[in-house]
Order: sequence, then structure tokens, then C-alpha cells
Amino acid sequence: MIVNAVLVIEGVAIILLAILVVGLLRSNADVLRALHELGATEPGGTGSGRRHQHAAPEREGSAPDVAGSTLTGSAVHVGVTGAQHPTLLAFLSTGCSACVGLWDGLKTGVGRIGSDDTRIVVVTKGPEAESDSKLRELAPDGVSLVQSTEAWFDYEVPVSPYFVLVDGPSGSVLGEGSAGSWGQVSSLMTQALADAGTVKRDRLDNGEFRADAELRRAGILPGDPSLYQEERPE
Amino acid sequence: MRSAGIDVAVPQGWDGEIYRREDELSVQSAGAVSHPVVHLGTFPLPPGRGDFGSGAVEIMSSDDLLVVLFEYGRESAGSALFARKGIPRVAASDFGPNNMQRPIAGQSGAQYFFNQAGRAFCLYVVLGAHARRNELVPEVNQVLAGLTIDPQ
Repeated sequence: MIVNAVLVIEGVAIILLAILVVGLLRSNADVLRALHELGATEPGGTGSGRRHQHAAPEREGSAPDVAGSTLTGSAVHVGVTGAQHPTLLAFLSTGCSACVGLWDGLKTGVGRIGSDDTRIVVVTKGPEAESDSKLRELAPDGVSLVQSTEAWFDYEVPVSPYFVLVDGPSGSVLGEGSAGSWGQVSSLMTQALADAGTVKRDRLDNGEFRADAELRRAGILPGDPSLYQEERPE
Repeated sequence: MRSAGIDVAVPQGWDGEIYRREDELSVQSAGAVSHPVVHLGTFPLPPGRGDFGSGAVEIMSSDDLLVVLFEYGRESAGSALFARKGIPRVAASDFGPNNMQRPIAGQSGAQYFFNQAGRAFCLYVVLGAHARRNELVPEVNQVLAGLTIDPQ
């Protein structure tokens, strides 16, 4: 009788432990999935998530043009990919406190961003999501402004303010990120351009690393013993 | 891009805008009438430009194109000036430096008046380089092929 009771208790305990283990495994899987979506790198892994600072995103295809409306209600289309110049898309909002200085800066001049011919286009969400009167107060003269909620989705804008620098001829995103001042934007984009240039310099047009090509021309191929020479004995 | 019964397939990389211009004669009357103006350019269209592209043509390079569609009052649609029916297609031979609203060295323009869907329009096209008209004109016709005008 006592033996039977012990067996029953043991069985219940085993079942409870099994449920606990399954629960822990599921919880662990959820945490890993969330980390992956945030772009965190697993120990020993390569990290394939989307980065939010400096580097160009792994977006399919070329950057889309921006279509929406102006403050006066006109339909407007801004060419981004295929243009002869880089375009800096400044995703700003009337409601974000971090954007105030950036709106002011647009009125006084933001200086050089990226290259001299970079075109700055301010993109706010559509009229349904912005204060029309506030936007009229903040919007600078002489700078293109497009109201387009669609563009915020197209460029997967995570926060405001947010900036995306697009190379016109190729349509590739050179850099993107959030910044609280035009000085920071300039720094962010300069770094992104430098990073892009470094990558370009290290690889040839066919994608081969320049160092590999030079070694191949010298007759040194992968596996060549000269690459693995042991140190000379002293 | 669509507004005021005008639909334009803007080519990738081009700028475009459809805005309304108040009729100068009706501004002083109680019922002000406005007419749409369409601007399409292969370059960044500057804010504050004129209806026929002043302020924009000055910054065009030799590769650039500007297409302007300017609507007149509906009552004009039956007049002799707008007798041509349908959205025109342009030819390189139509362009000349003297067809510009204000001549700019190297550039050339062409102007067409027509009616479509009971509405009266002027199509005005500027080429960044007259010397390149044979290369640039097919691009204009490609854009015009993607233009539709509804009766409203």
C-alpha cells in the first residue's frame, strides 16, 4: 500500500518535472526568437537581424521613391532611385520632442550632409497622423517636404527622428539611423559613407577580395604552403 | 501619382507634382476656380517654381527633361486653339530654342494645345540639351503614354 503511494507520488513528480522542462524550453525559444528579431547576435553566431545604426539595411531591391502629398494638398512624387544625386530622407514628426531642434536647424541651414549635392527631403506621416497647423509652423521654406505614411512603412522607420541616405544612381541605402541633431546626422552619414567606401576598396567589381586577387596574380593560391609556413627556429 | 482627375505613372527617379493654380480672373470673384498643373522632371523640382517651370529650367543639366501639363478653363476645350484631340506625342522636330517661355542657351522647348475628356490643356516640354533631342524625346513619349485624364 505504502509502496503504491510512493510510486504514484513519484509518477506525479515526474510528470510535473516534464511539464516544467517543456515550459522552460519554450520560454528559452521565445527569448531567442525575440533577440533574433532585435538583431542581437547569439554567442558564436553571425547575427542576421536588422541593424539600426550606421549600416545599410539588408533591404530587398532598390530604395523606393517617395510619394505622398504636400502641405498645400498637392500630389507629389520624389525620385530617389535613379536620381543623379544622393538623397537624405529625414523622417520627422510634429509630435516628437527630439525633432524640435532638427526642424529649427532646417530653417537656419544644416550644412553639408554626405556629399555636396545631397538632396534633403523631409518626410512626415500623412495628414491623418500629423498636426496640420503645427507642420505649417515648423516646415521650412525651400526644403522638399512630403507627407507619406506609406514611405514610413516602405523604409521601415522604427523611431522619429530617423534618417536614411540613399545613393541615387544605384538606389542602395548607404546608411541610416536616428540622431538628435544635424551634427549627429552629418557624423552618422559620414561614417556610413566611409564604411561603404572601405567595403568597396576591399573588394573588386567581381566581388573578389583585392588581397586574394593580388596573391593569385603572384601565383599564390588557396592552400599554398607559403601561407602556412611555420616560424623559423631562433 | 493622381489628383484632379489626372493620373501619371511617374518613372522611377523622376520628381512629380500635381497642384492647383487659382484662375487669375476668378480670384477676384466669389467663386474662385482652380485648375491643375502637372510638373514632371528628371531632376529635383525646386519649391516655389513657376507654372511653366521658371526656377526649374535654370537648374536643368543637359540630360534633364521637364514636362508641364497646364489646364485651362473647361470652356476653352471647344475653341480652335484646343481643337487637337487627345494627349499628344512629341517629335524631335517639334523642338526649338525659340519655343521656350524664356530662352536658355542650349535648351529647347515645344508646346502643344489639346483637349481630352472635355478639358483643355497645354503640354509644354523642355529638353536640357537641344543637341540631344533624339535621345530625350522617346523618354518624354514614354511618360506621356502613362498619362490619363478623366472627365472629372
